[in-house]
Amino acid sequence: MDDVNPVPLTFRFIAALALMVLLVPVLIVVLAGLNSGEYLTFPPEGFSLRWVENFFTSPTFLPAFKLSFGLALATTLISTVLGTLASIFLTRSASKAREFLRGLFFLPVVLPGVVLGLALYVFFIWTDVGLARSLAGLIIGHVLVTMPFVIATVTASLVDLDLSVEEAARSLGATPLQAFWKVTLPLITPGISAGSIFAFIVSFGQFELTLFLATPDLQTLPLAIYSSLRYAFEPTAAAAGIFAICLVTVSTLISTRLSNLKKLLSRR
Amino acid sequence: MTELTASPPDSPPVSGTRPAWLTPNLWWLVIPAILFILLFFLIPVLSLFASSFDKAMPGQITFQGNFSWDNYERIFTRSLYYTAIWRSVWIGAAVAAVCLVIGYPLAFIIARSLRPGIATLITILVLCSMQLDMVIRLYGLMVLMGDKGLINNGLIALGIISEPLPLMYNWVGVIVGLVQVTLPFMILSLIGSIRSINPALEEAARSLGSSRWHVMRTITWPLSLPGIYAGTLLVFALAISSYVVPALMGGWKVITLPIHIYQQIAEVGRWQFGAAVAAILFLTSLCAMALYIVALRRNAGGRV
Amino acid sequence: MNDEKKGLSRRTLLKTGAAATGVSLFNINHVWSQDVTYSGEVFDAGGAVLNISEWGGYWEETQNQLLLNKFQKDFNCQIRYDSTFPWFPKYVAAGPQDPPFAMTNWNMPEMFKTAGAGDYFMEVEEVKANVPNSADLWDFAMQTGVGVTWAFSRYCYVYRTDVEVAPKSFKDFWLPEYAGKRGTYITSNTLQMMFFMASCNAFGSGETDFDAGYEAMRKAMPMKISDFTGNMATLVERGEVNIAVQSDAEALLQKEKGVPVDLYYWDEYKGILTQTKTISKYADPTSKKLAFALLNRTLDPGYQSAFADTFWMRPSNKKAVIPEKMAALGVANTADATSGLHIPDWSAYLVDEIDIVETTNEIFGS
Repeated sequence: MDDVNPVPLTFRFIAALALMVLLVPVLIVVLAGLNSGEYLTFPPEGFSLRWVENFFTSPTFLPAFKLSFGLALATTLISTVLGTLASIFLTRSASKAREFLRGLFFLPVVLPGVVLGLALYVFFIWTDVGLARSLAGLIIGHVLVTMPFVIATVTASLVDLDLSVEEAARSLGATPLQAFWKVTLPLITPGISAGSIFAFIVSFGQFELTLFLATPDLQTLPLAIYSSLRYAFEPTAAAAGIFAICLVTVSTLISTRLSNLKKLLSRR
Repeated sequence: MTELTASPPDSPPVSGTRPAWLTPNLWWLVIPAILFILLFFLIPVLSLFASSFDKAMPGQITFQGNFSWDNYERIFTRSLYYTAIWRSVWIGAAVAAVCLVIGYPLAFIIARSLRPGIATLITILVLCSMQLDMVIRLYGLMVLMGDKGLINNGLIALGIISEPLPLMYNWVGVIVGLVQVTLPFMILSLIGSIRSINPALEEAARSLGSSRWHVMRTITWPLSLPGIYAGTLLVFALAISSYVVPALMGGWKVITLPIHIYQQIAEVGRWQFGAAVAAILFLTSLCAMALYIVALRRNAGGRV
Repeated sequence: MNDEKKGLSRRTLLKTGAAATGVSLFNINHVWSQDVTYSGEVFDAGGAVLNISEWGGYWEETQNQLLLNKFQKDFNCQIRYDSTFPWFPKYVAAGPQDPPFAMTNWNMPEMFKTAGAGDYFMEVEEVKANVPNSADLWDFAMQTGVGVTWAFSRYCYVYRTDVEVAPKSFKDFWLPEYAGKRGTYITSNTLQMMFFMASCNAFGSGETDFDAGYEAMRKAMPMKISDFTGNMATLVERGEVNIAVQSDAEALLQKEKGVPVDLYYWDEYKGILTQTKTISKYADPTSKKLAFALLNRTLDPGYQSAFADTFWMRPSNKKAVIPEKMAALGVANTADATSGLHIPDWSAYLVDEIDIVETTNEIFGS
């Protein structure tokens, strides 16, 4: 590429606007969480880490954070495995059902979380196998709404893959499984990790679905934040948010180191 | 029917030229996912929808089998409900359009940045904005957009306006809130397909004397259609099914279908009626997306 | 109007009939319906689990601190605290025989709705016989026959004192000076339900004259509609709302915090926002006994005073002492201060709830 900058000025301007839409509310919350005042006020009254400290000693937010984190990890694991397997089928099978299945897997995103949560809740009670008000039931709900994201991302990276590499490995005597494991999988790893980051974020922030599926004693962070904001505007909730942001930044940076983020979100 | 992110214009043909070992019976790969969706999505959701044909009775949740169209009749005879259908659709479409317009340039910059550090930084910023809890992010937006919010106070202090602009508690607030929440999904869907366009194509056109905008319009944009298509569908689906955003940003002035659903199910306790509204929302959303796909296919000449 | 009233009573009858059938249906001799008695002693529950549901957030932290931590130690039990409101769907989905919670803290409309949907709750007489502290409660605390009210706050308007106008009566909410600066809640919030019924009472023939209420809501528009009290407090604090329907607990707290606000108590219609607990009829015997014990501690005057000190809510126990800071702002726990407190006819409201929700939504949305 030559040294002529390919980005038109109008584009830069609109991009800056988009970044502002995304970040200004986040900035306000971060400042409110670092505020020294008694309540969530803006502009902040002064800088302090008291709400962050409060978060670490909070009997509500810290367990909620841990639960959400563990839940998101478990969800990500399951939906990445299920979703990746399904994606291989969706890109390699000659079956006419492919398009239909693709649509089917997308459906959980279209339904409001409230409806899905209620439908699952009634189903769990009705089947009475102990899924109602259980962590397992919560994970099932989260897998439903995160799998579409994994499938989409992994499918995209598989579609783009040059099959000839795998064929070459095969012709050199590798079994289909070996060829896939040693050649294809490393090539689509960026797609899979992008899909799992997606799944993690969607699960971690899932609110509406959780409303009906949350378990006694086990309250997710979004629910904890919501129920505390209902009664008082507590800066601890904002501090919990700051911690979540740090977490995603660090994990993204680590995964960038591991597999160059530029590739991670790209298709080649 | 659809996929969330890009599929390239030249989707690999599923043809006979492929060696036999690549197309063995692959069904076992997809069976777990299908079973999962069948058991935990289709059965629960369809039985919920089935109950929408029962008469609505507060507190009654099991299927009674008293078939009736009452719930649907109520939806289509009360303006409160049928206007909400249209409102939900147009808000969803508007949000998808706004996200595309303001998300495309940012995705373009991330995809084409000459310095990978910048791309990484912006990507992390986008991910951060997603990771902060949605409800509290909306509170941040309220501080910004309320009648006495930062924007209105700023404009009043500058003497540009004398009365606060109605930025919240109306459709403006709902759309801004939804854009804030769904924009990252649009951007992440676009990045891949923009990056897969070979820059040499654009450079060639430029060297032949095309203007920058002309190149953008005739080469970059059409080649990124798969990502555009995936991103708009995803954002539309997320926007039309959101409950929290219209509830917090609309000040109960913008009542969309998910708000009715939540009220009927969680508060009034008429699950059958709530299920009927949910079924309508589901069908409306699917129809809107199908129409969009058909229109897009026609325009793109079968490219997507 | 007359026909309307007739229609209402007919529907009430139908509804009662439906509830009655529900009751007879469930009147089988369930294994758990065996009698459990409690007389105030501390006992060892052997690590049993007690499922309860109450509000979350700071409320939950306070409950743990003032009551539940010690309770779990004293009675050797484990409390599972569910704060994922609403609870009505959870009760109904599980059915009366298999209650999700042994004890639940309610706002009254949801409680009545659940009680109307089946035989979920133990009768107050039975609760009374097993909870010694209930002898010291003000009469209104068990008036509903469904649950036991342990804390309450009075309804009021909270209004900003830095604007020229101040309310002198219930109807002053509608003063033209407040146009566009009025605040109330969504239809599912008890505060709005109560405000609606108070408006029916003020502008019509009584609290169930719903048409008068609709007219009053229309005249009050445009209003800022909030979901919860905390959110409304923020709107008042920022001056986006100059007068709002509020519970005095929230309003007094705001006043003490230094926000330029004052309270106007609704003296024409002394509605109360109640915290009421029910015990599930078909909970297992150990849970039931633990629930009696926990309720007994909830009704303890010492706990109620401590709770008032944190949440600014009034106690329902005659012997509870009002904290200094509340007393200074005029709150008292005397026969005089609790006379005339009004619990509205929630059953009548619930019969017409669907129409009220739809019509009010139309008004708010216009």
